[in-house]
Amino acid sequence: MPVRLLLAIAFVVLCAVGLGIFLSAENNGQFAWLTDPQPQSAAAINPDSSPAQTGAPPQTPPRSQPTEPSDDALGFMLASVAQEYAQNIRYPDYSLPLTQARAEGYQGNRFEPITLPLPDDGSFTVTLEKFRFVEDEQILVVASIVGRQTVSQRMTASLENAADRDKLESVALNRSADGFFQGQLTAGGNPGEYRLIVEARIDGDTVRHVSTLTIEPDLGDFEGLGDPDVRGNDLVIPVYFDAKTSGFYSLSAQLFDNGRPIALLNAEKRLDGSKNTIDLRAHGSVMAGAEVDGKLQIRHLQIRRLPAQPGDRTDYGFGPDEGYSFTPPDLGSLTDTPASDPESEQRAALLQRLADKF
Amino acid sequence: MRTRTGSAWKAALAAAAITGGLFAGNASAQLAGHNVILVHGFQQEDLADPPANLQEVKNAGADYWQTFWLSRSDARIDFGSDGRVEGDIAQQAYQQLQTISQQGLCNDFCIVVSHSTGDLVTRYLLENQARWLQNNGLQPLKILASIDFSGAGGGTELADLALNVAYNDSWYNWPLKQAVRAFTGINPQPGNLGVVNDLQTNAARNLAVSPNNIPRLRFVAGGSSFGGITKPFISGTDDGVVPTHSACGATTSQGIDSCSSSLSLAGKVSSQDGPSALYFNHYPVLMNEGASHSGVLGSETGNISVPVVNNRTLNGLQVDFASRTYNKRAWWQWWGSGDRYVEVPGSNQTDMSTLVYNTLNN
Repeated sequence: MPVRLLLAIAFVVLCAVGLGIFLSAENNGQFAWLTDPQPQSAAAINPDSSPAQTGAPPQTPPRSQPTEPSDDALGFMLASVAQEYAQNIRYPDYSLPLTQARAEGYQGNRFEPITLPLPDDGSFTVTLEKFRFVEDEQILVVASIVGRQTVSQRMTASLENAADRDKLESVALNRSADGFFQGQLTAGGNPGEYRLIVEARIDGDTVRHVSTLTIEPDLGDFEGLGDPDVRGNDLVIPVYFDAKTSGFYSLSAQLFDNGRPIALLNAEKRLDGSKNTIDLRAHGSVMAGAEVDGKLQIRHLQIRRLPAQPGDRTDYGFGPDEGYSFTPPDLGSLTDTPASDPESEQRAALLQRLADKF
Repeated sequence: MRTRTGSAWKAALAAAAITGGLFAGNASAQLAGHNVILVHGFQQEDLADPPANLQEVKNAGADYWQTFWLSRSDARIDFGSDGRVEGDIAQQAYQQLQTISQQGLCNDFCIVVSHSTGDLVTRYLLENQARWLQNNGLQPLKILASIDFSGAGGGTELADLALNVAYNDSWYNWPLKQAVRAFTGINPQPGNLGVVNDLQTNAARNLAVSPNNIPRLRFVAGGSSFGGITKPFISGTDDGVVPTHSACGATTSQGIDSCSSSLSLAGKVSSQDGPSALYFNHYPVLMNEGASHSGVLGSETGNISVPVVNNRTLNGLQVDFASRTYNKRAWWQWWGSGDRYVEVPGSNQTDMSTLVYNTLNN
């Protein structure tokens, strides 16, 4: 049967060619399930370096031509750092541009769930709303266990002073319909570091999940915002804070426009033990060109009493969860002019001098 | 983190430390024309055998850097790992900061070289040193940049687990206990973890994270330590002690594979789980999949370093990246150019510390 033979030979040849193409190193797509996805351009490696990520105003890319690369790859990297640093210092350290991802990272007082591995790929996870609690605040504890373990219907959560191991309080965590164990403790101890111990019976053994939190002293009260105004190339936002004790304080907050993060604002000031005003400033380099329609918001206010002496503790206080809204004054006079910080400029010049070698 | 070597080293270095006081005392020791200050990492022996005084702390500090950087430094900030950052460590460090300020070592900008926990300690000191020194009538240190090897400023999951092992004497997860023992060098108890407390991921990431203008140059390792037994307990890739999320300077402790979203620790051009954001002024510079946590300090060669390419535009010019790129085929691929890799040429002939030092001093 010559026709069948020809068909068989054709089939074998086609299979061999197909297999060869399939196994070619150029055949990235067909192996995507087995290997990494399609390679991308190395030009788009770090999202943080792009203007969109840094919050920098979009700049027209210069008309450029490929040039002979340096022979020194590390030198190239150092030159890149020098260049990026020179760009970054156009923003003063009291007013830094924020992306959504960076805003999340700089919210302050974050607690990432701590997961304890259990045998047979099980896990025991405890989640808190935050890492620092002000005296007498409620601490909501949520625990979960995943895996094939046999778990008791009840857990207990207790708070223990990390320094002297005194137990503050212990409560039962009850299992909710969705399988989580929940309960509440009170941050009723003296300021300091504490262990949150969640105890469960797993496969007949007692297992303790331990994580750390802090109880902070009551530093004072946020009393709202004053009237914002424009001074020089800054939008100045006065924050009223009634401090209970004097000291050197640092205030940080994030500036938003309708949920879009604009800038991380920082200010440091010595406060006495009474009503104080701390001016947060949003520099023109982050504000100019922003089309603000309506109110701006200040969120994630965090005030710290900085350690007066080495060995002292930093104490923390926090503004209202909802933050503050305010109507900005006319921002038309703000310009996207780089900030001037002599020491940073000197640093940038020295880094550039290093980079010039490459 | 490093473990101490023999007592002979200790004796020799004790003499050197006493003679040199706080300083390494090498008149020619500079990096790119700037004085170098070393800030070491976690020393596990301090948990088992806490140093009796600052001199013992200094001796151990000198020992820590003896592989490469000791003879190339002008000063050190040493601390006992049995202490806490906002406690004994700050006090010990401040004594040394005062001396450095009085000596004027940083009048023309210093370069800090940190390793591991030294990253966290440096960050804390940078936030506070100017205020403390000025309160005492001293000049704040002017820092040009910090070169951070295997930076633990974002903490490590091993510290989270060490605390759990400390509270679970009879707990049955044997491999985890062994990993924690390897990391801490002790049987952890609630009161004997020292700076490991500060290395818990949440604790580290809630300590002194306010931005400042000091550039932090990040050098990231991805090799094995302790025979690989710690790796399963660290999120994402790691160097056996410090997770990549910390070493890169990522703003969250979510596990990541690389400092770059399109370049692996090994240099393979491919989609990677990279950081969603970095802390301000943190610049990942090199990654090295093979280098171990301590190996970055000068003891390991044979591993390829990879540049963390942020973009290919330099001084307004688009450049073809200045490193060796090549293609490699996997075993099942019969022909074709294969996967593309990027690397620092010749980097496997040296270690990361030597590479940095020679580049900056060329």
